[in-house]
Order: sequence, then structure tokens, then C-alpha cells
Amino acid sequence: MAYSKENEVFSIQTFNLTKRFTKKKHKGIFGFLRRERKKERQKSKHPEVTVALDHVDIKIRSGELFGLLGPNGAGKTTLVKCLSTILIPDKGTAVVNGFDIRKQTSMVRASLGLVIGGERTLYWKLTARDNLMYFASLYKMPRKQARERVEELLETMKLSDRADERLEDYSTGMRQKIAIARALLHDPPVLLLDEPTLGLDPTFSRQIRTQIKELSEKHGKTILVATHYMDEADQLCNRVAIINDGKVVAVDNPNKLKSMVKETELVEIACYSPPQDIEKHLKSLCPDVDIVTLIHGDESKGNPSKIKIIGGNAEECVSTVIDGLRRKNVRISSLNIGVPTLEDVFIKLTGAKLTEGGGQ
Amino acid sequence: MSRNALQQSSLKSNFFIVWSELVKNLKFLLAYPVVFVFWAIFPIFWFVPFVLQGQAFVGGLQSQSFAQIAGTPEFIPFIVLGAILNSYVLTSLYGMGESIRREAYRGTLDYILSSPCNKAFILIGKALSESLSSTMFAISQLAISILFFGIELTIGIIMPVIFIIILLILGLYGMALILAALSLRYKQAHDLAHTLEYVFYVFAPVRYPLGSLPLWAQIFGRLLPLTYALIAVRSLMLLKESLSFVYLEVLALLIIDGIVILVGFYLFNWMEEKTKKSGTISHY
Repeated sequence: MAYSKENEVFSIQTFNLTKRFTKKKHKGIFGFLRRERKKERQKSKHPEVTVALDHVDIKIRSGELFGLLGPNGAGKTTLVKCLSTILIPDKGTAVVNGFDIRKQTSMVRASLGLVIGGERTLYWKLTARDNLMYFASLYKMPRKQARERVEELLETMKLSDRADERLEDYSTGMRQKIAIARALLHDPPVLLLDEPTLGLDPTFSRQIRTQIKELSEKHGKTILVATHYMDEADQLCNRVAIINDGKVVAVDNPNKLKSMVKETELVEIACYSPPQDIEKHLKSLCPDVDIVTLIHGDESKGNPSKIKIIGGNAEECVSTVIDGLRRKNVRISSLNIGVPTLEDVFIKLTGAKLTEGGGQ
Repeated sequence: MSRNALQQSSLKSNFFIVWSELVKNLKFLLAYPVVFVFWAIFPIFWFVPFVLQGQAFVGGLQSQSFAQIAGTPEFIPFIVLGAILNSYVLTSLYGMGESIRREAYRGTLDYILSSPCNKAFILIGKALSESLSSTMFAISQLAISILFFGIELTIGIIMPVIFIIILLILGLYGMALILAALSLRYKQAHDLAHTLEYVFYVFAPVRYPLGSLPLWAQIFGRLLPLTYALIAVRSLMLLKESLSFVYLEVLALLIIDGIVILVGFYLFNWMEEKTKKSGTISHY
């Protein structure tokens, strides 16, 4: 039931998908009394528009574990919402499991399982079993079949012994497992997972990632994982699309993407207390490199900040950079040359930072 | 893949949706035990002030001037029936509109609207759970009225009264659906429900006969389903008339029900489409 082209079978394909949001300005409690100036009046006639998705074209093969990597506000959730028919795009369309998201909404909804918005999207006052039974009914499952499926999923998630406890007594990770179980209730061929490990501790994150991997490898599900964690995309996905400001800037497998940054093109310096103008200062010292960027770390918790120098002859600049940092009294903790990550690719392609603190 | 989700809905699966919604809402209700205090007090406290006020004004349990416009001198059973039927207005209008908003608060609205089932059955489940609490109020109010205020309830009129109440509830569901649709788009349906509650309260003969209102207000009152339900139920219970006597009221209720339910569903689908375009479904 998937869209096929040139012998390849795609479970998800987007065509020129575009979504814009109009920014609303709130004038405050007594704003309506204020006389609008001419400029403001003109602005309100032509309100500011955010382009959340800008002519997005992606193809996800059947059974593929596909990553959508980008910072917060890049358009990942908007894409997931459009694919799941929660949002109607302004332009373009998409085909999920062979069904058009504009014309065959019910079939699209029946074809996919959705994890979006994290743990808050469940009924905390109900038990895990009650939650799953309720959502099973929305997928037209007969009661008996729903009951069996719920037991099976509780077993898979290793939560059978706590199935009759209210979700308010669960940990964040356990609730996220129930959210994933909900997406699997009707055994859909396509899963859309928006930040599936957001806010989870490393143990639960690992468990969830293992489950996602299993769903792809053992059960043949087509999975779209939207994440801003580069490690997650790198470890999990067969292919990754890098998205920024609503535009997909690159799509390939993680290794090929990382090969876009040559070993000699990357220097990463972990350090403490870099001054605000350090990027500008180092760029002036190494004018031939493409990008110098500072990613703040939580230094109070022992996580150093990172300075990334990417492109051109980055490797040759090392001694100049070290001298420059010393002159600015920056304490250097470590220095790496030439081990590119997806974050480096993202920085190289967009000039922007993926995450403050360098991901999870 | 489970083929159920891709298939047409069956009667059984639709019943399961309604049932699940009903059970879910009841479990939520029971999750907060303080609600029982309200349930115990509200049925009595709602109409006691009106009864005492009426007694103080008239100086007894009957009034001849009241009989001239209401057809019965006993104003207490008149008010009691008004209170009982009006409780359906309160729960329907507030319940449905607010339940959509509550789903948005909880973050579950996205999931409900992205499921493949027909949303009408979810709304029916929500409406039924709201009616269930109204019926509990109504039964306790009626029991008090029979015990203390001399209302007679014979087996013969139970079914016609239930029939009229069902017609009233259908009309109220239609109106509640309109409010639910507005709460999808404008988020705050509570104030509209509050306004509508007072429209019912003033223009429908809840506490006084329709004849007490000026002519224009009587005409407006006749657009409300509660007006016809009250006239019919009072005719059956207080004037001991048969169902055939109130056929015009029944007909009016059927027409109003049909119109508001159709408008309600149309508006709900329209607003759902609009909020999906604007991306504001999960806003609250």
C-alpha cells in the first residue's frame, strides 16, 4: 500500500510541502486603547509570517528508519503534524502508506502511529491499561481484540505489573513507553516519532532507542524520528534529513553526511569561560576557515563549552587558535581534530547551531 | 497491520468508542471524590431558595393568580420541574464545550482528532457522560420533590416524560456541539455557555410561566427546546394530560433538534478544518 517509483517503494513521500504561520502580536491589556502608529498599522496589514515548512520534498523508503534532524523551531514537528493530518499544509501534499494526506485523511490516520508532545498527551488520572483501551477504541478495534493487544503491548514495554496504576504515579520514561505503546495499538506500518527521548534519563533513552531499532529491524516498520539530538539520529537512522528554517538542506546516511566535513576541516576545542566575543576574535585570527562557533556548555556541572572551527584549513590554525585563547585567559580542557559529527555537518551546512551544549 | 483501522466502522466498534468515552469520563469524575459533596448538596440547594422565596411572596403553597397563567395553583411543583429540566441545560452546555477544551489542556486533543474514527461517536460518548450526571441530579431532585413537595409520579407518565427529556437532550446536544465547535476555534466557550444558560433561564419558563414574559420575549422563548420540554412535561405531570395533548410541543422539539444537530455537526467539522489550517488545535 505504498507509493512506488522507479522500483523503489516509499511509505512516506512529500511533494513541495509548505506551511506558513502568521505571527500574532499581542498588544497587552490596554493595547486596544493605544493609537497605532503608521508603521504599526502597515505591519498589521501585512503581518509577519513564519515559514515552518518551505517546499519540503522527502522520500522515505518502506521499512526505513529515517531521521529528521534540526534544532527547535526548524519545522520538524510541523512536518510530523502535517503527515499525521493534524495540520493542513498551505501548499503541496504528502503520501503516507499510499494515501494522500489531503484527500484520504482517514486512511492516512489508520496507517500511522504517532508519538508527539511527550508524556503530557496521556490521561494521567487513568491507569496505563485504561489509557490504552480508550485509544484502542478510537482505532476501531473490537473490544476483545483491543484487550489482547493492550496486554501484549504492556508485556512488550515491561509494564504489565504496573498496568493498573494511574499514570500520575509513573516516571516520565514509563509514560513515554505508554505513549509508544499507544502508537503501536493498531499495529500501523508507519510510525511518526517526534522527539521520542526528550526529557528522558540516559537509561530510558537507551531503552526507547533499542525499542525503536527493534520496531524497524524486526517488525519492518517505516519510522520517521524527528529529533534535535544528533547522537540519536546518528545511532538510530538509516538516513537523516537535516532541516533548518523549514528547509531540508541535506538527506543521506549519517556516514555520508559526516564525510561532508573533511577531517582536516574540523577542530573542536573544549574549554571553560570563553568570552562572548571569542567567535569574532578567532575568526579574525583564522580568516580562511568557514565557520567559528561557540556552543555553551553547562560549566557549573562540569560540562565545558565547545568552540568548533569548521572548513578551509582549520587543522592548520590550531596553534594560532590556542595562542588566541590563552591570550583571552580561556582554560582549554581538550582539543580534537577531525572527528566530525552530524552537528558539525549541520553547522557547516547552515551556519547555525543545532543545540546549546552539544546535544544529549 | 491491524485491518480494523483501515476498515469501515462497524456498529460494534462505534459502540465501543461511545462506551470507552463514557467510561473514561466517569473514571475522571470518580478520580476526584470531592465531587460527591457537590452531588449530595446541589440537587436540594438549587431549588430550595426559589421555593422559600415563592412561599414568602405568596404566603402559602398555592396561588390563584399563578393558576391563571400557569394552569395550576401549585407553584412549587412547577418550579421543581423547571429546576430538574434546567439541570440538563447546565451540564450539556458546559460539559460538551468544556470537555473539548479539557482535552486540549491535557494535550490529548491532537490524538483524538488524528484518530481514524468518526468524531461524532466521541462527542456522543462525551454527551452521554454529561447526561448521566444530569440524570442523577434529576432523579435525586425528583425523589426530594415526591417526598416533600407532593409531586406525583405514576408509572403511566414515566415513559412519555423520559421521551420528552430525550428530545430535550438531543436539542441541547446540538447546541453543545455548536459550543464545542466554537471552543475548538476560539478556545473559551465557557462564557458563551454562561450567556446561553441565562438566555434559557430568562426566556424559557423555568421559574415562571411563559405567559409572564412580554410578547416578544415569548416569541424568542419559543425558539428554545427547553420551553417546549417544560410545557410538555408540566402538562403531563401537573395537568395530567396525555402525550397526544402535547403533540405540537413534541413536533417543535423534533424540528429544533434536527436543525441544531445538523448545524452543530457542520460547524464542528468546519471549525476543525479551520483550526487544522491555522495550527491552533492544541492551543487552549
